[in-house]
Amino acid sequence: MVLAPAMPPFPEAAPAEPSFDRLVADLDSLFQQGVGEELDESAFNGWALRVFRWQFEHNTAFRGYCLGRGATPATVTSWEDVPAVPTGAFKRLRLLSAGEGREPDAVFHTSGTSRTEQRGEHFVASLRLYRSALLPAFRIHLLPDGALLPVLALVPSPQDAPRSSLSYMIGTVSEAFGAEGGGWFAAADGALKTEGLLRAIEEAVDTGAPVLIAATAFALAHWLDGLTRDGLRFALPEGSRVMETGGFKGRVRGVSRDDLYHGIVTRLGIPMNRVVNEYGMTEMLSQFYEPVLHRFQDSDTGLGDRLHVGPPWVRTRVLDPESLERVPDGEPGILCHHDLANLGSVACLLTEDMGVAVADGFRLLGRFPGAEPRGCSLAIEELLDAAQARGAKAR
Amino acid sequence: MNEPFDGWAVPLGSLADLALVEDRGIRYPVLDAGAARDLLTALRAAREDALLQDTVHERARLLGRAGARFLDPADPLRQEAEERLPATADISPEMARLVIDGMARDWTGERLEGLLAAELPQPEALDRFVLQPGGRRARAFAPALSLHVGAGTVPGVSATSMLRGLLMGSATLVKPGVGDVVLPVLLARALAEEAPRLARAVAVLYWSGGSGERAESVALETSDLVVAYGGDATVRSLRERMPVTTPLVAYHHRLSVALVGRSALSQERLPGVAVALARAVALFDQRGCVSPHAVLVEQGGAAGAIELAEALARELEGLHRVLPPTRPAPSHASTVHQLRRTCELRRAAGEEIELHAGPGASWTVVLEPAAKIEPSCLGRTVHVHSVADALVAPDLLEPVGRHLQTVGVAGLGERIEEVAAALGKVGAVRICPLGEVPFPPPSWHHDGRGPLSVLLRWVDLEG
Repeated sequence: MVLAPAMPPFPEAAPAEPSFDRLVADLDSLFQQGVGEELDESAFNGWALRVFRWQFEHNTAFRGYCLGRGATPATVTSWEDVPAVPTGAFKRLRLLSAGEGREPDAVFHTSGTSRTEQRGEHFVASLRLYRSALLPAFRIHLLPDGALLPVLALVPSPQDAPRSSLSYMIGTVSEAFGAEGGGWFAAADGALKTEGLLRAIEEAVDTGAPVLIAATAFALAHWLDGLTRDGLRFALPEGSRVMETGGFKGRVRGVSRDDLYHGIVTRLGIPMNRVVNEYGMTEMLSQFYEPVLHRFQDSDTGLGDRLHVGPPWVRTRVLDPESLERVPDGEPGILCHHDLANLGSVACLLTEDMGVAVADGFRLLGRFPGAEPRGCSLAIEELLDAAQARGAKAR
Repeated sequence: MNEPFDGWAVPLGSLADLALVEDRGIRYPVLDAGAARDLLTALRAAREDALLQDTVHERARLLGRAGARFLDPADPLRQEAEERLPATADISPEMARLVIDGMARDWTGERLEGLLAAELPQPEALDRFVLQPGGRRARAFAPALSLHVGAGTVPGVSATSMLRGLLMGSATLVKPGVGDVVLPVLLARALAEEAPRLARAVAVLYWSGGSGERAESVALETSDLVVAYGGDATVRSLRERMPVTTPLVAYHHRLSVALVGRSALSQERLPGVAVALARAVALFDQRGCVSPHAVLVEQGGAAGAIELAEALARELEGLHRVLPPTRPAPSHASTVHQLRRTCELRRAAGEEIELHAGPGASWTVVLEPAAKIEPSCLGRTVHVHSVADALVAPDLLEPVGRHLQTVGVAGLGERIEEVAAALGKVGAVRICPLGEVPFPPPSWHHDGRGPLSVLLRWVDLEG
């Protein structure tokens, strides 16, 4: 047996990570411990520095970016000093940190909020890591009672939408925790398959078997509108629940969150404390949830009091929009997430979302309160739309 | 300065007993449809006596007397404007003084006369029939009542619009945007002091949402002509609510750029170019339709885009201190940091990009290849592109041509007409020296048309 040479102290000259697969395996076993196990500051820091070193060494753009900011594995001793990558950069760059010659397992696209907006691409080096990050968080926040429920998905299936990280996620949880009777009720273009959905709902009501509805806020609002128009109301069996996502960014046009939740209560008979908002983004493999089922099973907390929490392998900081310094707890700022599951791309993400840090999570304030830049000079979207419309006509 | 600003100036008695509300430091009456109708009727009725008893030259003199007060630092109205502008228009006090100077420069009798002369060969045609070449007689009629809806992004624009309406002899209702309430209100007050009779045909009134929308609908239905400044969506919404017979003069979204030719890129001239450019970018904190979003720099000069970007960055840093911006909105600061850091990453990935950035989100210069012209996210953010030749610029600008307004130029020498023609062909409406970019002369073809003649209707008398 050959003895390994004595290791110099971490992190000045920590050994290079043996391989991407090895790191994935280590992180995988961390995630396997579930979201109940807290990760203390020094443990998180150790992991974050390992991930930083990997990304620094295997992502040319990120390395140059860090060098430009004077950050190297030798100088960075705290995860808070890892340079944050703006989510907007996913629209311009292939931010893959997977090691020489390794192709990504998947490429997910951001949805974009307008027809002319450039879409972001998240090159996901390891779907295994995505699965192992998303499952425990989903289980504790949607299925804390250990129930196995039919998943009624109001998003396109992963086959229909291979570029959608949300479809992949719901597909994964359906496989892991879904019971007979679930299905995909949105076409590839997002159009709802309302007849099939109606049958599934009626069946649940008839059999008394609870269901889990997974949907974007937009699809839910649309569906509930239809139910209202048709004068339909259901009392879904007790234990039914809803995971809704994406509404906070103001994309549910004309529908407030209060109205949406009220619609769920009145049209589906699912109480408000069984409706859970998931906050996730294509650029990030871990998710945040409102711990309403998990923590307050019997109390009906007001929507205004709700907060989001992430798994132990994610840390979120709230930064001053101007200086990007951390703000005192309780003050609003830009959310910056550090997600270890993003090993294969970039872990530290500067978002465009606003929030306030509270107790052990944050309260989401949405995207860009204060709205558009002012100017009789041009709104970017209008201009690009106009240019595109002209281009389209020319063709 | 905690007292809110009274955001209206109306003829005596026409707004009695209306409830007042306050928004962003401005107090304004809640105008319902009935009150709006009364006000419009009063303005229309006052017109004959207030405006049409004087000749157009006399009106120019009276209006100029009120306007000139804003150039006098000792004048109480000018002082009030300086005090009120920063908070209400979200600009620094230093910027407020510059903006007032630049705007009020065009409000004097002399400048208004200049405007008349530039646009109307025979201004007397506003007062009577005049003989035209060819023996025909013609007379210009202004709309009896015109509505001017401001955007609020640049203070002073609504006041200028008001003067144009009154000069032509139109009873004028100004609804300024929220950031541009102070100057038209104070100018109307100056008019009430300097020319009380004339002032009876003008009202300035801010309103918003709710009952204000009904008042706006009444104004849109009743006015004989509407002048509108604002985003494409605002203009569209106004157009939809107007009778088809009412002319709309729309100043929609605009974008401006700069084009620096190689002969301006000498050691001697480069600093001056950078000074003028930085000033054009910083003025109005880049919210103006004249504010440059991008700079195209011609190759082949002693210096190039790299040096110009550096010099521009230095000047913007200087202006950051002497002409400071206000604190950016969180959304804007966020956008700027996204842009800057994405540029850093693109550069690290091997793209040819240089980034210069001021403290916080104060100013940003991005030097990058001229693949396409992208609108800036504003707040003193400017993109610099190197182009092989000035004549490449029009092709690059073609996709944004419908929104293109000013092209500030330097160093084009003899080629200026050729380049200007090519720029005009793709949509530009004003080509001017860099130093003149922020404040077009009063007689300019505003977005391509004479600002006075677009208000007029001609009557030909033949035989």
